[in-house]
Amino acid sequence: MGALCSFLPGYVQVTNEQGRKRIAAHWGMEDLPGQPGLTVVEMINAAGEGKIRGMYIMGENPVVSDPDAHHVEEALSRLDFLVVQDMFMTETARMAHVVLPAAGWAEKEGSVVATDRRVQWMSRGIEPLDGARADWRILCEVADRLGFRFNYSGPEDILAEINRVVPMYAGITAQRIKQKTGGIPWPCPAPDHPGTPILHVERFGTPDGLARLIPVEYTPPAEETSDEYPLMLTTGRLVIHYNSGSMTRRSGALLKRSAELFVEINPSDAERIHVKNDEEVEVKTKRGEAVAKAKVTDKLPPGVVFMPFHFAGANALTISALDRVAKIPEYKVAACRIEKRSQN
Amino acid sequence: MNKVLYIDIKRCIYCRSCEVACEREHEGHSHMTVVPVHGRHAVPMNCRHCEKHPCLAACPTKAITREEGGPVIIHTMKCIGCRMCAMVCPFGVLNFDVIGRVMRKCDLCVHRLSEGKKPACVTTCPARALLFDEFDVIMKRIQEKAALAVISGVGSQPGTVVSPPRG
Repeated sequence: MGALCSFLPGYVQVTNEQGRKRIAAHWGMEDLPGQPGLTVVEMINAAGEGKIRGMYIMGENPVVSDPDAHHVEEALSRLDFLVVQDMFMTETARMAHVVLPAAGWAEKEGSVVATDRRVQWMSRGIEPLDGARADWRILCEVADRLGFRFNYSGPEDILAEINRVVPMYAGITAQRIKQKTGGIPWPCPAPDHPGTPILHVERFGTPDGLARLIPVEYTPPAEETSDEYPLMLTTGRLVIHYNSGSMTRRSGALLKRSAELFVEINPSDAERIHVKNDEEVEVKTKRGEAVAKAKVTDKLPPGVVFMPFHFAGANALTISALDRVAKIPEYKVAACRIEKRSQN
Repeated sequence: MNKVLYIDIKRCIYCRSCEVACEREHEGHSHMTVVPVHGRHAVPMNCRHCEKHPCLAACPTKAITREEGGPVIIHTMKCIGCRMCAMVCPFGVLNFDVIGRVMRKCDLCVHRLSEGKKPACVTTCPARALLFDEFDVIMKRIQEKAALAVISGVGSQPGTVVSPPRG
């Protein structure tokens, strides 16, 4: 909640003056900034240009997960001050001036919401290990030192504020979701409302209730293949790992099943560059290179290669070109070439 | 009737949660392996606890036993690690424990069964590809589904000819 740069809690657009002022009043302020902030890649670019001087990164590992990793590292290294709050000493945390050790999911409790709008209560399994604290405790203490008063007694108290500020969460109280396995999906405007598992049942949220199918124009990728970079690299996920791998690459059981970076390549492409299955190769783009194990498979058509982004290396290759509206990077298209590892 | 571990191969999504659950129950050893086939299919493989158990017959030290109708068990204290059981197993599901120098395999989580629980892999499987029930009960359920598909076409495979019900 509140993690998108153009929304306040409850999907109130920051440009919506009335909604913005209503939320500001809850926080004892007259108004809040009315301009959308920057998205992740835009922030990295701004840091690289010296327009952003300090960053506070929570539970994210952009050095591995963001496109064009060399540029990300360069940009972060230009910051005057970098704070990283994470469970582990990630690749990004290593660059920070201050690292705040956050408790893991089993060490803390509170409400969580998923992309299916389901709000659930997570109970604590164990006390935080030495030095670690729940994210909300760290944030409260930082706020305190900055001269704000965050007088929350616990995660119940935080959810109670959400109940007050966000109308579609009004009925999702800690008391209710602690008792309800599977939680309650918002919108849930009142304590006796059952929640809304399916958002649009009888009609869509349009004036006539009908959905709009909007055709989109084809936009070519920012980078096309060439003689120098003849293969199309696409990146994605594996079932074994989670995002930048900062947690899953620390699990012996998972590493046993997926230990290292690989690149899937069609047999005809592999044959042309004389690469055998399980052979180490170098994957190169205009932005960087990575060493990976070749996995020869006909899952992919000729001309396309695939790499998982959970290991450092894959995003050294990707391009930070953004979709013009959603600002999502073109993780799925980069022109690359694959070479046998030089024998030196 | 005894319950069996039945694998609904069509439902397996290759998430490998069963492997990790098995490791958790068996001190880091997984006796379930999901085997990818042609990069498009996945088949969970574990001990089938065969009725005519060739592993038991081949074991020179009688380290493998089977309770009446229950799981086939390796008694590791008696096992000499000769791997004869692995040689006769039609499924390749016996593992050699390099530290203990003994053979290990799926025991259907006997310790959980005695508490009235299901094997850990079955409880964990998010796709309901692993079932633990009496064989006849599982077959009956499959028959009912297949019968419904014949009549309604729901759940039938491409190419199935369906006659709509009359009246």
